[in-house]
Amino acid sequence: MALEPGASEGNIIVLVKPTPDINKVRFDVERGRIDRSSAELEINPFDLYALELATRLREILGGRVIAVSMAPPHAEKALRDAIARGADRAILLSDKRFAGADTLATSYTLAMAIRKLGGFRLVLSGEKSVDGDTGQVGPEVAEHLNIPHASFVHRVVDVDEDSITVESDFGDGYYLVRLRFPALLSVSRPLTFRGESLEPRIPKLSDVLRSRRARIEVWSADDVPGIDFRRIGLTGSPTRVVKAFYALEEGRRPVVYKDPEAAVEEIIKVLRSRKLLR
Amino acid sequence: MELGELIRELKGIVGEDWVVTGREAVLRYMYDETAPYVRPQAAEDIVVVKPSSSIEVAEVLKVANKYRVPVYPRGGGTGLVGGAVPTKPGIVLSLERMDALTIDVENMVAEAEAGVTLGKLIEEAEKHGLSFPPHPGDEGATVGGLIACNAGGARAVRTGVMRNYVLGLEVVLPQGDILLLGAKTLKNNMGFNLAHLFIGSEGTLGVITRAYLRLYPRWEATATLIVPFENRARAFSAAKRILFSGVIPLAMEYFDRRAIEEAAKHLGAPWPVAAGEAYLMIMLAECSEDIVFVELDMISKIIEGEGGLEPLIAQRSDEQSRLLKIRSSIYPALKGETFDILDTTVPIGRISKFLDEIEELERRYGIWLPAYGHIGDGNIHVHVLKYPGFSRSQLEEIRDRIYDAAVALGGVITGEHGIGAIRRAHAGELLGPTWAKVMSDLKRALDPNNILNPDKVLP
Repeated sequence: MALEPGASEGNIIVLVKPTPDINKVRFDVERGRIDRSSAELEINPFDLYALELATRLREILGGRVIAVSMAPPHAEKALRDAIARGADRAILLSDKRFAGADTLATSYTLAMAIRKLGGFRLVLSGEKSVDGDTGQVGPEVAEHLNIPHASFVHRVVDVDEDSITVESDFGDGYYLVRLRFPALLSVSRPLTFRGESLEPRIPKLSDVLRSRRARIEVWSADDVPGIDFRRIGLTGSPTRVVKAFYALEEGRRPVVYKDPEAAVEEIIKVLRSRKLLR
Repeated sequence: MELGELIRELKGIVGEDWVVTGREAVLRYMYDETAPYVRPQAAEDIVVVKPSSSIEVAEVLKVANKYRVPVYPRGGGTGLVGGAVPTKPGIVLSLERMDALTIDVENMVAEAEAGVTLGKLIEEAEKHGLSFPPHPGDEGATVGGLIACNAGGARAVRTGVMRNYVLGLEVVLPQGDILLLGAKTLKNNMGFNLAHLFIGSEGTLGVITRAYLRLYPRWEATATLIVPFENRARAFSAAKRILFSGVIPLAMEYFDRRAIEEAAKHLGAPWPVAAGEAYLMIMLAECSEDIVFVELDMISKIIEGEGGLEPLIAQRSDEQSRLLKIRSSIYPALKGETFDILDTTVPIGRISKFLDEIEELERRYGIWLPAYGHIGDGNIHVHVLKYPGFSRSQLEEIRDRIYDAAVALGGVITGEHGIGAIRRAHAGELLGPTWAKVMSDLKRALDPNNILNPDKVLP
């Protein structure tokens, strides 16, 4: 589904995931699941940075900022928040057929919606979500759209009419890349823009009151032309969560040998068993 | 007195491990959060005793009476008036081990032992879908201390203070008798309400060991507004109109740019509001979001009418906590240079006049008197700082002028911190000889040997 040439005109699309407030949400240990009914949905904290960056880039590049989410209907509140924080338009992809999607089906669905929107210069997302933690959806969307992408972006160095220069932090190194539009970035926090720190703004009261009356467009699968129903929701998701568990750190078990020779022998035995010595 | 004998008896009551005498180990039981310049000197010869039940508390008090040794009850040590400081050699009675907590959901009551921290009480109530509405200060404070000091906090305008939540109390009297008061009922008219004698008695009349605290359903929707104004007068005028509109905010705080920027700097975070010199921080909490929005609409119109600047609003819990954390850091940020933090409280209609008087003092002495606090209930904290070149007596004089201003306006010198050790002299002076006599008669009736927290509260 590559984009038509010339499609880089215009808008900035922000992928917003409504996630439960991690300060309030309960984890069902027995079933290995997040109890999503225990907390309201709000914008994934990383996505707030994507939104803030989008509004900043809009000042330079023009166009409109469009927030796009795939979530249950009660996630509408999170999209109102996106409008209060500067989005010009908000679209909620909500349909029972989308439910149970893994990152592949989610990114496919989002990409198809973005394709329907067309006319964008940039797609922005947070580096990952606080409830899923995969960091995959952003880059996968870019792959579906066949556009260049950079993930874990912690520095936006510069931007002009045709391209954006960013630095990604991959833990073991920094990657400085220039991407030609249209492109996708998934952003980390803290985030800097042209050398200055970029923090999500606290919304203005007037914007919040206005967002209460804003229209949130709800799209079902039927509203997305050309969507392949076999590639969405649970049907389109090859991932199976077999088990979820707390990653408990195992304590070290120190052994004290009073006899040095016995200690040396034991160490050699351990190193051999790990194939570190022959 | 035979010290070895006393310690042996105490160990017999609470067990070998729970009597602490090591110099290093008792250090953290000597002081509280009182500004170092005004706090009383702690005695060095103290023994810390940590009972596990009210029966053990009673036994310790009996032994203390036998040897005529002072007992200083201690909770979280977060007080600001030296109330927990052992001013004479004696026993520090730390209730930290008594931290059992049961949430009785059916009756909406928390059964808490004295050592339960405010943080734990809030968390456990929330786990059961309930809430403990007031937020009387530091979350490390304990139930016993909160009740003994009748703690207040920023939410008093809406929720009242600690006193309004105590349905029942277990108190160990100074001579070791255990007194049970109240019940899990909202109404109780069985004679004098003795529980209220102990609430706010600051550890002088009895040791609070257990309480029934009233809980409420959790608020479904909350919001925190920051409203900037060009000057204090406009902020105060808007605050007054909001209070008269019928909207009762969960909290309404006032501070100025200089104080809040100090707090933000202390945290290493920027103050996220560019506009304004004076601020109102208004917190709303309701059972539905729609009600919050009705209130926001009303407040928005008032602010516009009063010439306020564009308000910011946080609804996410992380953003609300971020703002609250900055506000709560004003005291920690100023603590290093604070001579004394005052707790003056005036009737709500006189707050503006009180702040005028503070400004007049600033001009007269050529100093900065950071003044901020709970504008919703008239409780304004004024800091007297350690101004270079000012002697101790000059700083005390400034403090006394501030007290004078509050009292002249019909206010009091402490709204929530209490009298403790550091405000005794002033309290005695202001409240007069009849007050002093009634207080000492009461004290003598309950504590004839003056064992419990001597040198506190009473003049």
